[in-house]
Amino acid sequence: MPHEITLEWRDGREATVDVREGETVIDATERASLGAPYGCLYGACATCTGRLLEGDLDHVERPRALKPQHRQDGYVLLCVAKPRSDCRIEVGAEIQADLVTNPWN
Amino acid sequence: MRTESEREKTAFVMAPRVGMDVDKPDFIGVVDVDPDSDTYGELIDTVEMPNKGDELHHFGWNTCSSSCHAEGLTRDHLIVPGQRSSRIHIVDASDPRNPAIEDVIEPEEVFEHDLSAPHTVHCVPEGKIVISMLGNADGELPGGFLQLDQDDFSIDGHWEHDPGDMEMNYDYWYQPRHGVMISSEWAAPETYYPGFDLDDVEDGKYGDSIHIWDWETKEHQQTLSFGEEGLIPLEVRMPHNPEETEGYVGAALSSNILRFWEADDGRWEWEKVIDIDSREHSDWDMPVPGLVTDLLLSLDDQYLFFSNWLHGDVRMYDISDTGNPRLVDQCWAGGNFADRQTVDDHAVRGAPQMLQLSRDGRRLYWTSSLFSSWDNEFYPEIGEQGSLMLKADVYPEEGRLELDEDFVVDFGDAPGGPARAHEIRWPGGDCTSDVWQ
Repeated sequence: MPHEITLEWRDGREATVDVREGETVIDATERASLGAPYGCLYGACATCTGRLLEGDLDHVERPRALKPQHRQDGYVLLCVAKPRSDCRIEVGAEIQADLVTNPWN
Repeated sequence: MRTESEREKTAFVMAPRVGMDVDKPDFIGVVDVDPDSDTYGELIDTVEMPNKGDELHHFGWNTCSSSCHAEGLTRDHLIVPGQRSSRIHIVDASDPRNPAIEDVIEPEEVFEHDLSAPHTVHCVPEGKIVISMLGNADGELPGGFLQLDQDDFSIDGHWEHDPGDMEMNYDYWYQPRHGVMISSEWAAPETYYPGFDLDDVEDGKYGDSIHIWDWETKEHQQTLSFGEEGLIPLEVRMPHNPEETEGYVGAALSSNILRFWEADDGRWEWEKVIDIDSREHSDWDMPVPGLVTDLLLSLDDQYLFFSNWLHGDVRMYDISDTGNPRLVDQCWAGGNFADRQTVDDHAVRGAPQMLQLSRDGRRLYWTSSLFSSWDNEFYPEIGEQGSLMLKADVYPEEGRLELDEDFVVDFGDAPGGPARAHEIRWPGGDCTSDVWQ
């Protein structure tokens, strides 16, 4: 059963897409040409990081790029994520930058 | 020597868009560097990759001086890996103003060999190309080396026969006349891909060693561990003179240049020859390390150049006495300490990073981005507006370099949207591509 995903960018842009059975969130955003960023496509690189605001979503491969604290804070890797319900997710290139900050300042 | 001898007229520049809100693939840029041309200093061609998300980073040639012109081989194809995607592009570069993608090795073919994250590409004698690979098929350790065939660019398999205790990988250089290869260490892709976390350094997840390999038997021979003096040893450079059995590696995090050499007993030794002091900055809680991210040797092996990506300078050392490098000049542009934060009205986003020197040693070019996720931490403006390519004129007779204030290629203005300009190469070979047999 498809689930409707609402994507929110920090500049206020919003879009919705149905994620079909068997698709990851990035599969669906690419099919709909929504331009959510991604890199490795297997959960190692964090370029596709989003933040789950509402709903339920599973990682189908181990999200290696996320540390336990990131997962507690709601960060998800959209290239290996499949929704289990309708979801609202914060997306865009800036979300990855939340994961690591300049350690010296 | 078998590099082309004339002045460079065009440059190939990697231009990733990974981790930017630009819904476009990375591209290979061609920059006109011929001052007699009407389009001097402009991006005259862009070759977009067939997929998004590659993170083009380092790249290399199908042949170089160690094998070029042997058995009919010519330097006409670029091997262009995607650091994040593990996809490898084969690019026909026989027309330097109009390169074209000829073939693509898809990530799945690379993962079959339990390797990922391709980095340094060198051609090697006997018709092969060897690529350092930083991870296994899951983006974890160990990495290894992937060998391609020069004729049809098919994958042969692993280059190494016995990896010994090598787990981490990054860059490598080799001296075929002495049968030696030296490789360095970054970290597992799953560690460095998401960004730089100091906790990962404390947990021992970043490298501090280089590895000595037997080039003939492809076996690991020796590990040189630097400890605190050599955290994150990245670029490895050996002299272009094939007689030499020494070289340098830049330890990015420790911000040291380390020299290594073969001793009389055949074992390799090392010493620190340059130490960049961290500097206090009013906006930072802790002193700012230089972060030595790239270095190169001039083709005549007289000068060493390296970048301090967090400070904002590129330095020039006379290495006539290889164990005692002598600072002769430095050039500041951007970063956290340069007075000069604009060039020709363009804001310098980032700081000197990937370097390339003209074959005659008179022009040093550089770009200002490091790696998408690391840019986001230290120079987030690159992720929004792209990076730049700059140039300094070098006067080897006087031991001096001076920023060319009229030369700036702003990849923020690239057709289709901004990009993070990265490694630079000349058609015909250059200081960081070419090894002599």
